[in-house]
Amino acid sequence: MSEALEKVFVSLVEKSWDKYYERIHHKYLDDMLVGAVIASNVEMGYSLIDLNSDGVNHYLRFEHLPSKKRLIFQLTNLTEDIVSAKVLGKHARVVIGYGQMISNVGKIWQAFKAEVKSGLLDKGEPGVITFDADVTSGYIYAQVPLILDLEQYFEGKYKINHPLLEKHISAVTHSLAKYLAGRLGA
Amino acid sequence: MFSFLSKFQHKKEMRESKDEILVGEIVRVMARLGNPAIGFSANMGKQSIRFKPTRDTLLFSIVITLDRKTGGTAIQEALIGSKATLTIQTNVKNYIADPDDLIQMYKTDVQNILKVPILGGIRLDHQINTVFATKQVIIDIGKHIPKDEKGVERLSQFLVEHINELRNKLAPYKKW
Repeated sequence: MSEALEKVFVSLVEKSWDKYYERIHHKYLDDMLVGAVIASNVEMGYSLIDLNSDGVNHYLRFEHLPSKKRLIFQLTNLTEDIVSAKVLGKHARVVIGYGQMISNVGKIWQAFKAEVKSGLLDKGEPGVITFDADVTSGYIYAQVPLILDLEQYFEGKYKINHPLLEKHISAVTHSLAKYLAGRLGA
Repeated sequence: MFSFLSKFQHKKEMRESKDEILVGEIVRVMARLGNPAIGFSANMGKQSIRFKPTRDTLLFSIVITLDRKTGGTAIQEALIGSKATLTIQTNVKNYIADPDDLIQMYKTDVQNILKVPILGGIRLDHQINTVFATKQVIIDIGKHIPKDEKGVERLSQFLVEHINELRNKLAPYKKW
């Protein structure tokens, strides 16, 4: 009788830990995505050169050192609490930017002309490609906000589907590179 | 749109990003070892990353902190290189803890109180149901940034060696 009760007690503790893990897993989800993005980009030959976070938004910057091409990411977990994650699914807002070094500052401003005229400043809606420049380091970026379903990148609690994540990053940066080339050529 | 880029620190030279480059390589190596990153804390010159060991049933988490001490300027870089302290902390968590455990743990905490986890020494600490083992080593960041696949393998071995050393210290404290 005593042994049976002890088994029940142990199972209650084990189930409590399962629930505890479920809760902290949601809390860590955006950080896990940050880690997955870093690991995937480093595997693809980029070096992490900047890591910044205000607790809600995470900012990452990478450089492909031989070509000096840069990637920038802003990651925001949209469903941090467990209730909304269960109802809506696990979503993150991800802004991905692709940057090229431009030595001619005049070319940067030329590329911006149409941008400023059209007033296409960040509206926060997915799929809107905008251009931005870091004049001090001589980089011009094309960037796009997306809303991604995080479930597709996680197989189980901690296993990450790196091939899919790398495929998605490559697809976005390939398209942004084309848009940027078009803008600079214009 | 324009606020996104302003979130970055705009380091003028790649030399200033050496610590971030090493952090990126550590995250990649740990992911290959089955330890995905689950937490980040980043300040100027100091980055701390928490990893979840998914192939290890003993360890609960691993925290690696890179604190850059020198190399922020070109003169420092030329004279003494980019020195940093790399702190590795592993912990085990016991799923049931009672007051007697805490009394037992208090004794080892007293023994450890004056131990500084530097230059290879390992410090043990207890917090209710968790036991931590911490080790700190001084490294030259430039020498640990891999330049090829062999370099990645060397960084991997370096981390595995220290994590295993900490793991062995913690093994007696895990209650299954």
